[in-house]
Amino acid sequence: MSSESPDVALGPPRRLHPAGIAVLALGALRGAALPLLAVFLAGLAGRGLDTHALVRALALAGIATAAATAAGVVAWYTTTWQIGTGTLRHRRGVLSVKETDVPLGRVQAVDTVRGPVQRLFGVVGVHVQTAGGGREAEIVLPALSAGDVAALRDAVGARRPAARAPEAPAAPPEPVRRRRLGRRQLLVAALTAGRLGVLLPVVAALAQLLDDVFQGDEVRDAGRLGATLTPDTAGEWVLLGSGVLLAAWLISMAAVVVTFAGFTVARDGDRLHISRGLIARREASVPVARVQAVRVVEGVLRQPWGLALLRIEVAGYKAEAPAAQTLFPLLRRTEVRGLLDELLPELADAPDRLARVPRRAARRYALPPALAGLAAGAAAALLVPGAGPWPLLLALPGAGHGLLRWRAAGWRLEDGRLAVRWRRLARTTVLAPAGRLQEHALSQTILQRRARLADVEVRIGAGTRGRVHHLELPTAARLFAALRLRRDPRPT
Amino acid sequence: MEGALPEPQRRLAPAARWLWRLEGALGALVALIAAGVVDAATSGWPGPAAWLAALLLVVAAVLVVPELRWRRWRWEVREHEVDIRRGTLTITRTLVPMLRVQHVDTRRDLLEQMLGLATVVFHTAAGENRIPALPLHEAGLVRERIAELARTADEL
Repeated sequence: MSSESPDVALGPPRRLHPAGIAVLALGALRGAALPLLAVFLAGLAGRGLDTHALVRALALAGIATAAATAAGVVAWYTTTWQIGTGTLRHRRGVLSVKETDVPLGRVQAVDTVRGPVQRLFGVVGVHVQTAGGGREAEIVLPALSAGDVAALRDAVGARRPAARAPEAPAAPPEPVRRRRLGRRQLLVAALTAGRLGVLLPVVAALAQLLDDVFQGDEVRDAGRLGATLTPDTAGEWVLLGSGVLLAAWLISMAAVVVTFAGFTVARDGDRLHISRGLIARREASVPVARVQAVRVVEGVLRQPWGLALLRIEVAGYKAEAPAAQTLFPLLRRTEVRGLLDELLPELADAPDRLARVPRRAARRYALPPALAGLAAGAAAALLVPGAGPWPLLLALPGAGHGLLRWRAAGWRLEDGRLAVRWRRLARTTVLAPAGRLQEHALSQTILQRRARLADVEVRIGAGTRGRVHHLELPTAARLFAALRLRRDPRPT
Repeated sequence: MEGALPEPQRRLAPAARWLWRLEGALGALVALIAAGVVDAATSGWPGPAAWLAALLLVVAAVLVVPELRWRRWRWEVREHEVDIRRGTLTITRTLVPMLRVQHVDTRRDLLEQMLGLATVVFHTAAGENRIPALPLHEAGLVRERIAELARTADEL
């Protein structure tokens, strides 16, 4: 593309080191290896291994190598990179061309990789990472000479924002503040974890399996006895059901105890240290600057008692287990503010005093799930013989859930601090400085346009997306405009 | 929609409609084949019903949706943010602050290369957003401008 704007001075386009051909070709070969093996084995089937098969295999391998080499040459020829005053540019692809501009200040890491092929040719593979979503590095240069790597590192190093390199002048070291999860709290957390949804199918399958096994034995050993083990009266079904439920609950409790036993969180300077676990102690150290938001999760079994779980959304920690993003496994809703003030004052806020969505929106929350319930009920009524019209009552829990969602939905924006609350099963409140939003959106369906209602959605990190449905349009528009971010509010 | 900030004004390339029509046609082809299979495999009403459904899908995917989408699409690259408004039945307006843009791509798949179009994709830590189907030259300029603004946003 010859679209050079005057303010972006770019160096000349550079290719990879010629050894890149070998690296790229081997990559292509590795990608094709499995299908080729399948073709070979399919050719073998029925005829067995003879000289013909060997010749065919050799021919196949030859063709594959040639094709991979050609692919390597083409990929090498079409891959270029350029260093500019402020930007790193990368271009690749033939059938699908992709050109990437990475502002040098946004580069988080320049990782080098030296696989066997790269070592053989004395070159280095380079992965340039930004904080952008996606697991893969944003720019992958599979073979660069040592000189090119140095040039790349220099360019990136020179453009790093100076404010980030030296830490703030050493403030008097603050005392380490620490919170520990007590035994009673752990027990309550386990009792109210409500991970039943995940475990129930497993336990049910297990019960079925055991049932089958025992029934088999019984039938063999004692004739008709086995029949008594499969439930055939309503009472027996209820008994079996409660047994399964109890087992699921116990497993879920054990899981919580194992995960969160000895949970401790400490604030030490600009980092949070979180350690937990009964069998394997896990420790995580999170830079406070990367905490984007706090999530207050009130599970179905916890909300009635005013209890909640506190999570943090950490930028760039997407791959970590969710438990690693737990700030505190169980506390009272009213204690949220206090704990945050102590450990994370940067994001401290309380999950209350939120503005509700308008009353007239209630039916819009209730209607869709009610209709979904009705449709499911109608299908059941038609398909299950003898069910009668009773399944149609599924519309009621649907409507109930919708109304609960309506009651839970809310928002608040005060002093640049945003709180957004919604419910799926658990009621979740996200607390975040408005300045840490990644993006936000205002949307209206056709029906909402007529009713002058609108949805507001905010995205805070890779995993956190808060959405309030059916706000009054003027309210939604004001919120949308107020959330505009003009400069970095973080102190530098 | 109303609000204190101005609506985005710029449109996509008119050829975007052809891109979406072609893409829609490919999808519609699958629907037609499926209808043919249903017609061949059953007797009575399911066959004609399947053809009707497939036909409606073709009309929607090739004639209606691309036009509607194109008319609604607006975008603007401002100093501090990228502003996008799009949608057919649901209209969504999205603001992405420059401070949060990590890097920018332009992409061209085969169809886009045939039509001289390119898609600008800009990434934040929360995911990606796209401005699709811009004229090739303009897409390159937009990519450079977003990268430049993202870079200078830090230095204010």
